[in-house]
Amino acid sequence: MKGTRRDGGRIRLAVAGVATIAILGPLTWLWQGSLMPEAYSVMDMGYEDYGGGRPAHAAGSGGGSSGHGAHSGASSPGHAASGRGVASFTADPARKADVAVTLIARRQRFKLPTGRFVDGYTLNGTSPGPVIRATVGQLVQVRLVNESVPDGMTLHWHGVDVPNAVDGVAGVTQDAVGVGQSFTYRFVADQAGTFWYHSHQVSHEQVRRGLLGALVVAPAPRPPAGTVDVVALLHLYDGARTVNGREGDDRAEARPGDRVRVRVINTENGQTPVWVGGAPFRLVALDGTDLNGPAPVRDTAVLVTAGGRADIEVTMPEDGSPVRVHIGGPTGVVLGSRSYDAPAVPRPATTLNMLSYGAPAPIGLDPDRPDRRFVYEIGRRPGFLDGRPGIWWTINGHMFPDVPMFVVAEGDVVRMRISNHSGETHPMHLHGHHAVVLSRDGVAATGSPWWVDSLEVGNGESYDIAFVADNPGIWMDHCHNLPHATEGLVAHLMYEGVTTSFTVGGPAGNEPE
Amino acid sequence: MKPVYKVLAYLVAVEVAVQAMAVVFADAGLKKWVEQGGVLDKAVIESDASAFPEIVGFVIHGINGTMVIPLIAVLLLISSFFTKVPGAVKAAGLVLLLVVVQVSLGVVAHDIPALGALHGLNALLLFGAAVYAASRGRGTGVSARVRPESRIGTVG
Repeated sequence: MKGTRRDGGRIRLAVAGVATIAILGPLTWLWQGSLMPEAYSVMDMGYEDYGGGRPAHAAGSGGGSSGHGAHSGASSPGHAASGRGVASFTADPARKADVAVTLIARRQRFKLPTGRFVDGYTLNGTSPGPVIRATVGQLVQVRLVNESVPDGMTLHWHGVDVPNAVDGVAGVTQDAVGVGQSFTYRFVADQAGTFWYHSHQVSHEQVRRGLLGALVVAPAPRPPAGTVDVVALLHLYDGARTVNGREGDDRAEARPGDRVRVRVINTENGQTPVWVGGAPFRLVALDGTDLNGPAPVRDTAVLVTAGGRADIEVTMPEDGSPVRVHIGGPTGVVLGSRSYDAPAVPRPATTLNMLSYGAPAPIGLDPDRPDRRFVYEIGRRPGFLDGRPGIWWTINGHMFPDVPMFVVAEGDVVRMRISNHSGETHPMHLHGHHAVVLSRDGVAATGSPWWVDSLEVGNGESYDIAFVADNPGIWMDHCHNLPHATEGLVAHLMYEGVTTSFTVGGPAGNEPE
Repeated sequence: MKPVYKVLAYLVAVEVAVQAMAVVFADAGLKKWVEQGGVLDKAVIESDASAFPEIVGFVIHGINGTMVIPLIAVLLLISSFFTKVPGAVKAAGLVLLLVVVQVSLGVVAHDIPALGALHGLNALLLFGAAVYAASRGRGTGVSARVRPESRIGTVG
């Protein structure tokens, strides 16, 4: 009797053990599989997606077409494995700089103009860093000196289609610039518009705490008299909403009849509405690209994508009354001369529909005959990300790092469908390129060509975009809700024949997200 | 193993209570902040920094709900295999099932707010299931000792 009971106990224990293994075994296996190596190249991440194009090496061995790789791999055509390094894509090294700036980065406690102390990072002693101004066509040279940012840092030129070597992504295009080191960024500002710069090393933390600033590229002809240019950079410091570092209103002087261009830069992780009280306005540019035939609107809000820019143009009322440009709330920029007493107005219910705003114009590419077609479908599921359990983002059903590497060849017309079924909105940012929006949820764009570098893809939405692969390199294509990037919403666009020797992790401690 | 099983079961119940408290705490903080002139938009929601101190309630709710409670529920199920409490496996399985339902409802509620209401209702079911699972241990423990005496009592 006692023996049977002991046997029963043993069987019971064995069953319990087996059941435990049945639960913990797969979990441990999944956990183990998710752990990232100490250093890895983004080129080895996930799987290659050729978007219907033929991979260069397959084309070569098959003896078919000459393969696109020959275009970009000028130094070693056809050899994808030993291709041209990202660091070789630079601006003309012989050309002298037209705009030369040195930015010294520090970790420090600093004071916002409105008195609040922030424990964060500065560039030349302030945050936001200095506004860098250039005229289109000028060569901009920025020497970054890291005096005391412990994790190292970089500068990424958000929205400028720079040469790959100066894209500033730690672990992809360069090593993080450690304390005591410096790095020089050189690029031609070839497009007039509103841009910004920020660190792309531990970016979710370094951007939030201050390593950012505005970059304004003015058009070549001098603006006529009576034009006012205002930068309005939105950033939250310790939860306090600021414009150009000021809590509450920022003021700019504008006389009656002046045409004021307010360059709104959203450096935050979420989109924000912008609207105008006291005058109609025109949305004259988006993401550093002028819109065609923008009509005046009123009682309408413009949603500015996280990382995106919107240039609002207001003609000051002749009666001298001030105008308030709201940025996400009751505060923003007040334009005026005699008085700055502009009442706040509530957010208009209407949001500007970019699909139909402005007048159509040729886009300079044929999206109906693309060389590559990609799908970038964002989802969400439970799992482990580098050993951390959670509910993480997926790209085309795969979780980081098993994400697609979108492979293109120089000169390709690329079409991409970005769809989002993840339950949250995602501001998608493709480095090094501007893409034109073709349609949203199947509704074609009929207004001004809508060029973006940062596109808010709402939950349940689907966008068709197109771009020309005209800037060889390895480019991040990620969510600019920077914490989302740390949660795995990162893929890359790679040109055939281009390689990188930089690694994420490694001695430089590269951590781009 | 019984004490471990019991503690884990009660821990699930306590965690459900913490979840309810955290989310209302944060919600109240948000309302007060808006009353005082704060403006909530996506930029504020996605900012890591705390616009108002009670926002920590949302953070706790998220981490607890998607990581800590599922982990406890899995450990509870494993401990139930090794405990002799009758029905422990079923009770722990029910708790884990309700946790899975709860997390799913919480996530999908971003999409379909009405499911947020079910999330609230399911929290009560989960709390009940956790207490039920924990008290099963107590019930058998007590009855095992009491039963022989009561039998003597009836015979006498």
